[in-house]
Amino acid sequence: MNKFLGNRAAVAVFILPALLLYSVIVFWPLLQTLYRSLFQWDGLNPGTFLFLDNYKELFQDELFRTSVYNGLIFAVIIAVFQIGVGTLLAFGVADAYVKGRKWLRISFFIPVVLSVTVVCQLWMAVYNGEYGLLNRLFQAFGMSYRQDWLSDPDKAIYAIAMVNAWHFMGYHFALLFAAVKSIPEHFLEAARIDGASKWKAHWLITVPLLRETYRFCLVLAVTGGLSAFAQMFIMTGGGPGTSTYTLTYLMYRSAFRINEFGYGSASAVVLVIECLIVTLLINRLVARDRIVY
Amino acid sequence: MHTWMIRLRRQAPLSQLLMWIYAVLSVYPLLWMVFYSLKDNNEIFVTNPFGPPLSPRFENYSTAWHSFQVPVYFLNSVLVSAATVAGAIVLSVMFAYAAARMRWRFRETARMYMVVGLFIPVQVILLPLAVLMRDIHLANSLLSLIVPYIAFNLSFATLVFYGFFRTIPFELEESACMDGASIYRTFWSIMLPIVRPAIATMIIFVFLSAWNEFPLALILISKEELKTLPLGLLFFQGQFTTDWGAMGAVMTMASLPTVLLYVFFSEKVESALTVGSAVKG
Repeated sequence: MNKFLGNRAAVAVFILPALLLYSVIVFWPLLQTLYRSLFQWDGLNPGTFLFLDNYKELFQDELFRTSVYNGLIFAVIIAVFQIGVGTLLAFGVADAYVKGRKWLRISFFIPVVLSVTVVCQLWMAVYNGEYGLLNRLFQAFGMSYRQDWLSDPDKAIYAIAMVNAWHFMGYHFALLFAAVKSIPEHFLEAARIDGASKWKAHWLITVPLLRETYRFCLVLAVTGGLSAFAQMFIMTGGGPGTSTYTLTYLMYRSAFRINEFGYGSASAVVLVIECLIVTLLINRLVARDRIVY
Repeated sequence: MHTWMIRLRRQAPLSQLLMWIYAVLSVYPLLWMVFYSLKDNNEIFVTNPFGPPLSPRFENYSTAWHSFQVPVYFLNSVLVSAATVAGAIVLSVMFAYAAARMRWRFRETARMYMVVGLFIPVQVILLPLAVLMRDIHLANSLLSLIVPYIAFNLSFATLVFYGFFRTIPFELEESACMDGASIYRTFWSIMLPIVRPAIATMIIFVFLSAWNEFPLALILISKEELKTLPLGLLFFQGQFTTDWGAMGAVMTMASLPTVLLYVFFSEKVESALTVGSAVKG
């Protein structure tokens, strides 16, 4: 048996293709990003070693501050919206008296399967200053409130964040709904018998039991928000001006618009560190004991 | 309390109403898109901005399909997604089998090394990857998308398959070994059929992520004839600003495969996309 499962040739056949591909395409570029962030490099020529100068420059760059700030706004908006609304809807749909639960679930989840390009272009049409759905709705209700949502430097980042919030709410809903369903019913019943209302019972019993799921949702939403890119690229091109830059956008622009691959790599490294810190923080703050019923 | 009051409280009309309002918020923008894909500009902008088209203009679809590169993008998306699904699943099932069942040194190290990939955001390795693809002369072929897409799905897929393989009793391999089957034969005829449900789940997961992928495609592909749908669609934006109907038609067509997949296998798709919470946690 040991010879059977310890067959070295077979182990090599099974693991090497995956290991090689992963090392070359995922791991090696990661090391490259770290290494190249210490250089002034145009992506072609050998480049000059700068040590930490890219980082020094980065921390003094006005654009870097905007990018970090926008990433935080984006992360907070999508985390609050997706997890908050997802929780309420999950509690609602979990109630057996609700009619049409299947249709509700499908409606909530359907945007998740769309591509980011379709979603962004659809919302550009919704936000359109002249003919957009949103302005037409205000008009239909007799309000003269007209906005060019994506052209206002103060509002654009919020408008973009709402698109992502809408796109992936259903994902968090599905995660939370599955977790709510896995809690044995007598937990809630006990609270109800003691006189708690449905929502109070959920707040006191269900929410604490969902801790594991919340931890996962939070990490997902916050790291996703910090590294946002596609929405800005498609909907505003980082603008108006530079008002919707994020770290990934800064990286993209540095490398592919002005050929500063080293500087771009430095902002990518800052992004990784940022993501690591929030992941650790979330793991710290949201206790991680696994609950077994 | 009267029975009707109890019933009313149980059915919670207010919270039901709010749920349906969100359902409308979630779906109506999509319906609106399908509606306007069947209208002309006058109907979209002036006469009927919200409702279904009064006289559906299916010619928007043929205009969009024929006058731009939609068929090419579609074919590229199909090819890239299919190759990614096949490659990612074959490689990760093999790796996961060896990591979960076989006995070798550095087994845990190799597994952890693979898991690290889960925590690396794609964005972080875009730049070196673009340079690498250029240097190994893969840039501007479909392989320059397929190879990274496979690699990016490996960490997650191996983790899911690993979890499945661990639940299978070792007696199965013992008896296969006694009966004289080779390890390859055991893997192929005994283990693979057992993990079939996990394979189905991962096919859906990998397909959706490859079909919808955007940032890598943006950076690695510039030739028009190699673009996938999410990328190709982007460049209609400029050309179609004046023809909303055709733009809507292109967007609807691009979304159809994943939406249909979801509508027909909704529970499967939901569990495929959320399988991560169980293993990543």
